[in-house]
Amino acid sequence: MTNAEGSTRSTRGLTSSVGASWMRAPCPALVVDAADVVVEVNTRAAELFPRAERGAWLKDVVPGWLVEGHRRAAAGGEDPAATGPVRGRHGQWSLEAHPTLVPGGDVVWWLVDDTDRLLAEAALRGERQRTAFLADASTRLLASLNTERCMEVTVDLAVEHLADAAVLVGHASGRRHPLALGAGGEVTHRSARIEPAMIPGLAEALQGFPPVPSRWIDPAALPDWAVPDGFAGPAGSVVVTPLPGPGFPAGALILLRRSDRAAFDASEEVFARVFAARAGAALSAARLYQEQSGITATLMAELLPPVLRQVHGVEFAGGYRASKDTERVGGDFYDVHPGADADQETLAVLGDVCGKGLDAAVLTGKIRNSLHALLPLADDHQNLLRLLNGALLNSRHTRFATLVLASVRRRGSTTHLRLTSAGHPAPLIVRHDGTVREAPTTGTLIGALPDVRSTTAEVTLKPGETCLLFTDGVTEARGGPLGDAMFGEQRLRSALGECAGMPAEAVVERIQMLVAEWIDDNPHDDIAVVAITAPRTRHLTAVDGHSPGRYTP
Amino acid sequence: MITHPEDGFQLTTTLNDAGEARIRIAGDLDWDTADQLTRAAAACLGTAPAPRGLLLDCARLTLCDSLGLSSLLMIHRQAGEAGVRLHLVNRPAALQRLLQITGTDHIFMDAAEDGTATDAEATDDDATG
Repeated sequence: MTNAEGSTRSTRGLTSSVGASWMRAPCPALVVDAADVVVEVNTRAAELFPRAERGAWLKDVVPGWLVEGHRRAAAGGEDPAATGPVRGRHGQWSLEAHPTLVPGGDVVWWLVDDTDRLLAEAALRGERQRTAFLADASTRLLASLNTERCMEVTVDLAVEHLADAAVLVGHASGRRHPLALGAGGEVTHRSARIEPAMIPGLAEALQGFPPVPSRWIDPAALPDWAVPDGFAGPAGSVVVTPLPGPGFPAGALILLRRSDRAAFDASEEVFARVFAARAGAALSAARLYQEQSGITATLMAELLPPVLRQVHGVEFAGGYRASKDTERVGGDFYDVHPGADADQETLAVLGDVCGKGLDAAVLTGKIRNSLHALLPLADDHQNLLRLLNGALLNSRHTRFATLVLASVRRRGSTTHLRLTSAGHPAPLIVRHDGTVREAPTTGTLIGALPDVRSTTAEVTLKPGETCLLFTDGVTEARGGPLGDAMFGEQRLRSALGECAGMPAEAVVERIQMLVAEWIDDNPHDDIAVVAITAPRTRHLTAVDGHSPGRYTP
Repeated sequence: MITHPEDGFQLTTTLNDAGEARIRIAGDLDWDTADQLTRAAAACLGTAPAPRGLLLDCARLTLCDSLGLSSLLMIHRQAGEAGVRLHLVNRPAALQRLLQITGTDHIFMDAAEDGTATDAEATDDDATG
């Protein structure tokens, strides 16, 4: 190593300006003159830069960044400290060098090892990013209660932040597992019969056991279904993490990294688990919700009334307006069971179940099924109602139903009805001259009392005459000018009086329209009406059953 | 028509010297309140010794819907099982009509029917449903 000129002068300067204790300072320090020659090196600095000794050229003994820094500081004039510290790496260390100008133009460089601080800062940044990611993940995961969407978001987030590709293995429905595969910004859905044992740890993860560390899994052993199409392999490392749910696991998440990227380290695996816990909770909530709404939809579909039509020469029309407030869905229902042929009676049923919501839906389903099974006994309404009552009686509660049975058969031009009310408002009959009469039938409600009694009314309809079955949702509909009056039976009767001669569908439409106008925007219970009409002539009904004008006398 | 606020529903239970329990029902008997009446009646019927009779006083009943009727039917069933005579007194017109349509008026005794009428309280004319 070449010694530069002027070292003697510098030594003198040092002694006067710094003192001997400087040599034992706990942080590395060196003095360099304006000509880039090392003037003095303390013990720690000598350890750090083994070639640094008095008189050596600075550029020969320290990294380039420090040489650069020194030239700037030395040229800077009065206060090199104002230019601030310079930073750089030296071997495994990260150093921060602070310059101080001493009289005579030398610069003292104090070196601080900030390796640990930088690591801590990097860790803090990473932790902040993860927290931000988790917050973002929760927001996005909770935005949907659709399981497929939830799986998609999970895979999407995993690919964005944790891995190059991700595969979510959902809870099996039957023997197939739903899969969501993501790589390169795309997520695809698939369902497949998979063998969880093919991937070490997957079977355990699907049962909710703790995850298997990634290094235990040989990426080459991955089955084809577990590698998304967009993944530019080969896979370098794999992690399998369970998606825990409340009580049962929601599935498992497989994370893949390409071989050119670092394998998952322990902290990343732990983080993947934290993310998986959130994803699992969201996924479970979505699944429970979907099951719940599926059950409700199935039951509600049972409540949808059938489309009615002309049966054996008699017109049937029905109208149903469900309560808008789902809490008030009361389970009004109607059905028409056509006779085997024109000589057999057709049975129409309209009923109202006590209560609302699912309870009412379940009871309605029970009644409709039981009635269907009892159809062969419809000749005797009293007997049929007794049997139905027996089937519905329950020691735990007194939920009941009221209903009207109408056995209908056309003979020639007249239509014969047997009408029986089981605790239900009696049907109204509108004659061709517009008079409206209540069918003389009464009876006990069904499902709450051990004995039920009823009387049956026999009614004959001439062409153009109608029998209207309705639920109390019609008469008790609240509205009118002040918004709190009931539609009432009197209004229904006079409205019906104007429907003489109309076909069944027109009668139903007219009544529904009047009630809808009455209710306006007020809350209301279910409203159901069924019109049974003897057609005016066979010819006209066959042509068009919709235009009331054709039937006006 | 008197409209009662939802929380205006009130049950008052008293026991007279003859050992008869009386529950005064005030307000709407419906989805929200029917259970309260069922429980109050069950509490009366469950005392030892059982009351000689149970009177449901409907003078201030403003409305009775299908769940209200369901509650009355449950009380009727439980009174029968306990061997306690049940009376439904001071029925407003709307309640009487509901009982008639549903074919259940004959199962509830009015006070006049067996002469055990306690105080004859005037029917509140406003108490229609």
